Amino acid sequence: MSDVLLKVENLEKSFGDNLVLNRVSLDINKGEVVSIIGASGSGKTTLLRCLNLLEHPNSGSILYHNQNLMDPTIDINKHRMNMGMVFQSFNLFNHLNVIDNLILAPKKLLQKSHEETCKEAIDKLSLVGLEPFAYQSVQTLSGGQKQRVAIARALMMHPDIMLFDEPTSALDPEMVGDVLNVIKDVAKTGMTMVIVTHEMAFAKEISDRVVYMDQGEIIEIQPQDQLFISPKKERTKTFLSRFMNI
Amino acid sequence: MILASLPPRDAFFETVWYLITTYQQFFFTGIFYTIMLSVIGTVGGFIIAFFFTIVRTTKIDTLRQSKVSIFFTIVSQKFINIYITIFRGTPMMVQAMIFYYGLSRLQISFWTPLVAGFVVVTLNTTAYITEVLRSGINGVDHGQLEASRSLGFSHGQSMKLIVLPQAIRQSLPAIGNEFIINLKDTSVLSVIGVTELFRATQLATSPNYRTTEGFFIAAILYLSMTLIASLLVNKFEKTSLRKEAMV
Repeated sequence: MSDVLLKVENLEKSFGDNLVLNRVSLDINKGEVVSIIGASGSGKTTLLRCLNLLEHPNSGSILYHNQNLMDPTIDINKHRMNMGMVFQSFNLFNHLNVIDNLILAPKKLLQKSHEETCKEAIDKLSLVGLEPFAYQSVQTLSGGQKQRVAIARALMMHPDIMLFDEPTSALDPEMVGDVLNVIKDVAKTGMTMVIVTHEMAFAKEISDRVVYMDQGEIIEIQPQDQLFISPKKERTKTFLSRFMNI
Repeated sequence: MILASLPPRDAFFETVWYLITTYQQFFFTGIFYTIMLSVIGTVGGFIIAFFFTIVRTTKIDTLRQSKVSIFFTIVSQKFINIYITIFRGTPMMVQAMIFYYGLSRLQISFWTPLVAGFVVVTLNTTAYITEVLRSGINGVDHGQLEASRSLGFSHGQSMKLIVLPQAIRQSLPAIGNEFIINLKDTSVLSVIGVTELFRATQLATSPNYRTTEGFFIAAILYLSMTLIASLLVNKFEKTSLRKEAMV
């Protein structure tokens, strides 16, 4: 577990005058599940989006496979192929059906054959429990089903890290369980995962370590059993107590 | 029944029939060129607008792009914006005059009124369809572009594979409308001597001064073309939507 897959150092990001990330440093080890928690506006989503440069940090470094993603000469698209991302609002390709959403990237980017990708897509869909929906329009799916398709789509590229940006925030409560179960199944495969979430119970259950962020800073990083039970920092305690009261 | 001589002035419908039977070749030629100009202008305009839209929506990455590449992207984007402003802000009739007579000075052998007409309609339509596609792109959820980028697609690939297919589908009614507008607006090319329907009607009525009757026929023909075009556009949209539902 000590192999560092992703090393973030002194990351800074601001939108205009608003400093959203303030010298954030974080290591993600291979096979590790790290959850990022914090109040809205604490910078957790921005941090996640900086990891694959969907947001471009102002300064700092992101070492991935010993290459600094901030280096202008590297091909970021190649690295993104290995970093699966799941968004809060699913972001499925609305003009394609379920299976075409899954096979588009492997076919076009990895030059895999249609037959091979289709076969694999069906496997991935059965993993997320949506095999019967393969040829259905994504627009006819429920929120939970869409999110499971989005997870399957990301897995199709065989990433070595998965980034989840509040994957259940846009879902009706009854849909949340199915999506969380799929994420747990993915975690069991040994996938390295970074999850931004408001689901404290889920974070506690699935994570190896939990990061608490506030006002653009990482306040505390602890193994999950310690952070939730005996947080060291006062700000973490205040946040968690407020959360638990709700 | 073919009337041998021009009917009296108060015989409106006889005159209409006389003009149709006597000058049918003029009207056929006019219809042919009107349709050709509109079809080629709209298709050509759409193709150029497609590439303009990709360039126009390209985000400049100051970190990864070379200075030369950034320079060309900015210059291209500025050019496209100025192009759209000029072509949407001036009448096609004026554009036709400037292009035809302006380039005639270079004495290029193939630069005929018809060729100039095709070029002007295409360039004019490009400006409008580029704007149509932009609003179509705005209608596609930005998250889809992000998802595509997160999978490893470049901006160009994401536009081509994800955003533009949806933007085009959403823009189909407006693009169809451009075609219908072109059917009517090609009439302004008569100023440079293109024998589309308006000019053909002028030619048919000039020997007999029966302008009203002649342009009554032209109006019916324009109306028929636009109605048929509307029906075809509607049918095309419905087929496209049905295909989408079947996916």
